[in-house]
Amino acid sequence: MAKVLMIHPDKCTGCRNCELACSFEHEAQFRPGASRVQAYTWEREGMSVPMMCQQCDDAACVNVCPTGAMHRSTTMANLVDWDESTCIRCKMCTIACPFGNARYDAASSSIFKCDNCQGAPECVAFCPNGALEFVDDGQHVRSRKKAYAAKFKEAFQEVS
Amino acid sequence: MTVKYFATIRTYTGETERRLDDAPADLRELLTALAARYGTSFRRAVFAGAELGSAIIILVNGRNVLYLRGLDTPLEADDEVSIFPMVAGG
Amino acid sequence: MYGWTGTILRVDLTKKKVTREATDPKLARDYLGARGLGGHIIRSEVDPKTDALSPDNKLVFAPGPLTGTFAPSAGRFDVVTKGPLNGVLAASNSGGTFGPEVKYAGYDAVVIEGKAAKPVYLWIRDDEVEIRDAAAIWGHNTLDTTDLVRAETDEDAKVSCIGPAGEHRSLIANIMNEMHRAAGRTGVGAVMGSKNLKAVAVFGSGAVTVADPEGFKAVVMKARQMILAHPVGGAGLKAYGTDVLVNILNQTGALPTRNYQDGYFPTADKTGGESLAAKQLIRPKGCFSCIISCGRVTRVDSPGYEGNGEGPEYETAWAFGADCGVDDLDAITKANYLCNEYGLDTISMGSTIACAMELFERGIITTKDTDGVDLHFGNTPAVVEMVRKAGEGEGFGAKLAQGSYRLAESYGHPEYSMTCKKQEMPAYDPRAVQGIGLNYATGNRGGCHVRGYTIAIEVLQNGAVMDPHVTEGKAGLDITFQNLTAALDSSGACLFATFGIGGAELVEMLAALTGVDYTLDEFMLIGERIWNQEKLWNLKAGFTKADDTLPVRLLTEPIKTGPSKGDLSHLDEMLPEYYGLRGWDENGVPTKAKLKQLAL
Repeated sequence: MAKVLMIHPDKCTGCRNCELACSFEHEAQFRPGASRVQAYTWEREGMSVPMMCQQCDDAACVNVCPTGAMHRSTTMANLVDWDESTCIRCKMCTIACPFGNARYDAASSSIFKCDNCQGAPECVAFCPNGALEFVDDGQHVRSRKKAYAAKFKEAFQEVS
Repeated sequence: MTVKYFATIRTYTGETERRLDDAPADLRELLTALAARYGTSFRRAVFAGAELGSAIIILVNGRNVLYLRGLDTPLEADDEVSIFPMVAGG
Repeated sequence: MYGWTGTILRVDLTKKKVTREATDPKLARDYLGARGLGGHIIRSEVDPKTDALSPDNKLVFAPGPLTGTFAPSAGRFDVVTKGPLNGVLAASNSGGTFGPEVKYAGYDAVVIEGKAAKPVYLWIRDDEVEIRDAAAIWGHNTLDTTDLVRAETDEDAKVSCIGPAGEHRSLIANIMNEMHRAAGRTGVGAVMGSKNLKAVAVFGSGAVTVADPEGFKAVVMKARQMILAHPVGGAGLKAYGTDVLVNILNQTGALPTRNYQDGYFPTADKTGGESLAAKQLIRPKGCFSCIISCGRVTRVDSPGYEGNGEGPEYETAWAFGADCGVDDLDAITKANYLCNEYGLDTISMGSTIACAMELFERGIITTKDTDGVDLHFGNTPAVVEMVRKAGEGEGFGAKLAQGSYRLAESYGHPEYSMTCKKQEMPAYDPRAVQGIGLNYATGNRGGCHVRGYTIAIEVLQNGAVMDPHVTEGKAGLDITFQNLTAALDSSGACLFATFGIGGAELVEMLAALTGVDYTLDEFMLIGERIWNQEKLWNLKAGFTKADDTLPVRLLTEPIKTGPSKGDLSHLDEMLPEYYGLRGWDENGVPTKAKLKQLAL
């Protein structure tokens, strides 16, 4: 089964541990500007949402890349991978991604996009609230679907 | 006597307090009787084996039982016992 | 340098000059950062006799070395200045995400000097620093200020600002960041207002670097596990927030009630964390790098108290609750929202209203003084109205905005102000809990709990236990807490990390981060040094042994009802031993030998 990096925004507290873990894993320093995940906070609403590359099956970044640097991984399921050695930094991928999840970083001359840390995402390990989960694709929405199904269970138990 | 519950203890008991007409002889007897009433989650919170639980704070009339006689603290009919999980700060 | 950025930014608002200087590595080692390093700057550069609201005072925003890393719950900073409420060397601690942004912009401290001719705000984007006109923003509350400043700078800028209270130089005005986090006490907001500085906005694209990345990560993982395994740090605070303390303090008979006239409030449960979770909580919230998430995102729908925001935390729920004889949590939370919007310290505000209520019930003030408001204890709408008036500086509110000491003194009865060194005491009654009373009395910034939170041991059984009702051993307990906390504050860590880890883990993290071979002994010595630094300043500012005391009420009027009925504070049994153990003379003055030991 392939794994999916699932986001649960309702559990996000805006602590940004994910950004710190990501930047530290990739650069051995703390620079949220280097993080492939960003957790945005809206203070008035008290809501925070982490965002990273969703590894699209039919990825705009892959379709537009002239060198194949952006490509679907042949070694890991459900991953769009970036080959640094063949990338010409044309930044077409950053223009193509409709979600803004591919970014050019001048400081390191790289394209920043989530690579699932080769199968053990650090952001998931560091999130203290379960807002990020690396989970089998058969189960990544199970908890939500079940939580709502449980409401019917309670309602029917009351009347039957 | 009155036994009052706080924070997560309330989720184990389903109520915020309970009044008893008579006092059990000591705290151990009280907690044993309450554990029989409320079940496993409550028992695990207040007991660690035969000893007082390690993440529980119990006051008798405002005094922590650790400065009285622990589980052997004697109880009287007009006592008030408060049971807290270890809680916060600041 | 690792951990530290190596640069201090200075902004002179009078001369409109911006300069940079290198962070002295020896000072960084010996004072860490935040409260310690900021305190050293103020001590060295501001005369203790200076008028705190004059251009000669300075305002320092200083994060710590851990700030900006993934050390668990360690993203804090201090605002350090001469505190206008009482003249002490004041360091006001805050969370949120402002502190880390200062580090990413490249600074260990931002030192603001002088006074702008007209309202301005500061915009710091890495090494680009601008002093900008704030005419269109002056007058706005802290929420709107944050949005307005972001619209002119960067939508992701982190903003520290004052509300109308700071603009009016209320002595209990605070500085708010990220709309809901506060550098709360000692009137630091008034200093910012006196400089015509409305806000500081920061955006940083830099990094915090690590001397030993693998070692640092290993210690961090261990520290995270310890905190998450702790019942308080790992689950309790996230589920209930600090407001869960209401009931345990009340059941101990130590919940100050009606301006400290009593220690037990029968309907306190309605204001506690359990009620908050059931009625108002939307979700928990965490500061930068926090794994504890004690913050409360809340909403109130009751007519007259509608609003949303964050809070209340425990001291706030007490100050507008039991201390005012109020048990309506919706009103308490509304008062909390208003304080955040106006930029007022909730502890001092609530306690000042409680003081006014006692003056009113005793007939010392009447409706003629209170703009027609019947200020009896328990008058719930009046509490909310008084916060609004204080924030606006309107009528009787203008008097409330100067804190309870000046309020009570102006009517000839300072004894009804529940303050130490003119700062309002928080939510733990010294008559029932002896050690916290000693902490209030000896506190360098006056009535304060966080600087020496002995409650953790005396009431909460956090790692050790001591009977709150005895004085034995409390002098030593207070000193250990005060020293450890001073070092912890200065490292950038949050006090709540101590629900799980201790000095040993903090030292390991600091050593791996900075490359400095810190030991626990040195860490505690640093804390002791910082405590003594503040004490020396206070002595020069005019504080004496006579100021290391509690309100007469706590020494002579026993608690009236509840589990601690009949109790009094026995400060006199603890203070001499405290001075002795600190290496101070019988007047509380550090001896030459002690100063030499601390390299002060």
